[in-house]
Amino acid sequence: MSETSTVAVLPPPVPGAPPHTRAPRPERWTMDNGLRVIALPRSTVPQVVLRMAFAAGSAADPAEFPGTASLTGGLLTEGTQTMTADELNARLDGLGASVHASVGHDFAEVEAVFLSETLAEGIALMAEVAIRPTFPEREVERIRAESLDAILSRLDEPANLAEDRSAMEVFGPAHPYGHPPFGTAEGIRSVPRDALVAFHAAHYRPGGAFLVASGDFDTAELRALLDDAFAGWTGEPPSIDYAADADAAVAAGRLVVVPWEDAAQSEIRIAGVGLDRLSPDWFAGSVANYVLGGSTITGRLGSNLREDKGWTYGARSYFLPGLALGGWVAETAVDVEVTAAAVQEMLGEMQRLAEERVPDDELRRAKDAMILSLPRYFETPSGVAGRFVTLEAYNLPHDYWDTYADRVEAVTAEDVQRVARQVFHPDRVVRVVVGAMPEESD
Amino acid sequence: MSTIISSTIRIPSTTRVLANGLRVVAHEDSSAPIVTVHLMFRAGSRDERPGRTGLAHLLEHLMFEGSQHAPKGHFDDALERVGGSNNGSTWLDRTNYYETVPTHAVELPLWLERDRMAFFLPMLTGEVLELQRGVVMNERRQVIENRPYGMADEQLHELLFPADHPYSWPTIGYMRDLEQITLEDARAFYQTYYTPGNAVLVLAGDIGAERAFELAERYFGDLPAGPDVPPPPAQLLPPAPNGARRVMEDDVSFPRIMQAFAVPAYGTPDWIALDVLAYLLADGDSSRLQRALVRDGRLAQDVDSYLYPTALCGVFGFVATARSEVEPEALEHAIRQVVDEVIANGVTDEELTGAVRRVRRDQVSELATVEERADALAYAATVLGDADAVHTVLDGYAEVTTDDLRRVAAEYLVPERGATLVVIPRPGQDDEDEEADDE
Repeated sequence: MSETSTVAVLPPPVPGAPPHTRAPRPERWTMDNGLRVIALPRSTVPQVVLRMAFAAGSAADPAEFPGTASLTGGLLTEGTQTMTADELNARLDGLGASVHASVGHDFAEVEAVFLSETLAEGIALMAEVAIRPTFPEREVERIRAESLDAILSRLDEPANLAEDRSAMEVFGPAHPYGHPPFGTAEGIRSVPRDALVAFHAAHYRPGGAFLVASGDFDTAELRALLDDAFAGWTGEPPSIDYAADADAAVAAGRLVVVPWEDAAQSEIRIAGVGLDRLSPDWFAGSVANYVLGGSTITGRLGSNLREDKGWTYGARSYFLPGLALGGWVAETAVDVEVTAAAVQEMLGEMQRLAEERVPDDELRRAKDAMILSLPRYFETPSGVAGRFVTLEAYNLPHDYWDTYADRVEAVTAEDVQRVARQVFHPDRVVRVVVGAMPEESD
Repeated sequence: MSTIISSTIRIPSTTRVLANGLRVVAHEDSSAPIVTVHLMFRAGSRDERPGRTGLAHLLEHLMFEGSQHAPKGHFDDALERVGGSNNGSTWLDRTNYYETVPTHAVELPLWLERDRMAFFLPMLTGEVLELQRGVVMNERRQVIENRPYGMADEQLHELLFPADHPYSWPTIGYMRDLEQITLEDARAFYQTYYTPGNAVLVLAGDIGAERAFELAERYFGDLPAGPDVPPPPAQLLPPAPNGARRVMEDDVSFPRIMQAFAVPAYGTPDWIALDVLAYLLADGDSSRLQRALVRDGRLAQDVDSYLYPTALCGVFGFVATARSEVEPEALEHAIRQVVDEVIANGVTDEELTGAVRRVRRDQVSELATVEERADALAYAATVLGDADAVHTVLDGYAEVTTDDLRRVAAEYLVPERGATLVVIPRPGQDDEDEEADDE
């Protein structure tokens, strides 16, 4: 369309008043055995998402066998007291259901997605998987071998190496967060089957666990199905000892360059200790991070490295929540030749946020983006489930989403600067480069 | 309306064509107070010429660099201020631009899209081109070159398609071509394809059809129709590659086998049957390939199958990564055995039912957002000629029989129609270890 002269220029539209977002209000109850249930029924799509979390993450790994939690999670769907793995898989696949376990640092999770009409059988299978796995020897050996291969494969990718190394530098080798949640090859190779059975018995307990249900179901029916499926399952909450001394962990100011032969890019991570998820500064930190790198293109990191310089496909930053300790990471991947300059630019942006008051207009944009995007968070069953898993996992107040907009709104430019000084200060972070860093004499 | 997707998935929509040829599709769903504005052009990397690959995608990047009344930075900035999100993407057959905003701000993305449909070229400068050329080259490095197995898809397509087939080159483009693209190339592509008659505009979400059409008319009705667009390439199943093979070395720890077959185009009954077959073969731990390669056979760490919903022809593929000490040929052989077994003896009713349910499970998840539904409608309108044809596809799964699955396997998934890429670890790393031991 070249003949632009004939087209009228229309005035930019002025949006009306934004809608007031109402977060879903769950129904909560605690089952007799101590399992907390958060139910969020909504019949927009014929689907139910169930997320069940246990205090069974890698932080609970026995010291001699890192990887126990991960292997235990991986074996939940590999055979139960009433079904072989093959029988279980055939039933799940026949229902069109998906049931998967994942293991993080703090929690192990079983996530199930069912079509609404298969909910009853689905919940029974999910309970079977979560509380009655049998760890058959043959499947243990297969999952063990696959896990060892996966550890090797993972390190083929520079981005993964950068992630692992920056966690190690920030949290230290003694802290569970200093290691990937899947453990070590040595731990996975050597952990005996009995240790998996024992880990399951100790950590997959209704006390300390919770279940979030979201989607197209009737709450009374859900309650009855859960009572039935989890009948007879008991156990006190496990206690997990995050013994390591986190304060001593950060090798702040350190630069680590991991050479990668013939790298097409350098993967850069600038990382440090973040904020406690319950910190009164959480919202100020979220706004500060949004300004710096919350949005890949318009954040200061992205505007500088991508939109101004064209050095990267994107740059962003984010907080990592953790029960014991929070983390914070800024990341990008750039042309190898500009690696050192890119690190300097990132540190410069962090410093600028700590030293200069964020302009009102930029602060306004960050708050509006965070507040007005809320409706999208609650659009789908899995979106809703995710938002409420966060509340339960980090013991956030029940009215968290109801007060979210007000708390973001209350953040001031001074708050942003104060938290930026604390979290983003160049002296408080480590720099990790996987690739090459020509011209660097640090 | 509370139930948009019930037991049969429906995406009800109304279409109106503006005088300049722009097709406008409205889909109302007020479950959340948001609206997606989706603009799709029938232009993708298939419309490039050899030597200028990557042009369609580079132009997509340039479209975010500003138009006359929304200069650089304004597009993202303005949408962010109303809580909106936006993105664009380029693939073989189409390029799309979409924004999701709270209901109150629905006119903003329309105004922004209007501006870059009518007032883009004066802002397209050499400086803007050089900057985004750099960004795209870094995208290629990050997504393709610096990622294990990242170059494999590109090589597999070179094997599967003859060099003059428009699916033979990668959408992101070859590095040597990205270096060559000129301002004139970008201008010409824009002038040729970014016209109202070659576009579909979808408004989906918390907006009624009449209001959607009224806004579409206001923001797009006065745009000139522009020149006629070259007719799209005809549907084209390439000649069988006769089992073409290539071995590619990569910086990886484990070999991987990748196989692809050109099959009928998106939306045809055979394409739908092949989609069910892809699920039946490899989705779910009880599926035939998971059992033969991973669970019982213990040859592979993972195995997957896929089917591209593409317009000129579909692409059906298998991917499997070997376990330690397993040769890739063993994976290839095992995959072949599984497919041959389907061809020889068919599949069971239970397998078919489970596979269709799993397709449906994923469709329900994928179509849970208005953003995804807008994309599905725009794609059906662009590729199948009619937004409502999305239901031809969605409903087609119920018609698939076990005989269909056996037939499409026998017709399309035979060795001579396939191309095979074997990715092997680059030799040398072991040698280095040995040298280290010697010291």
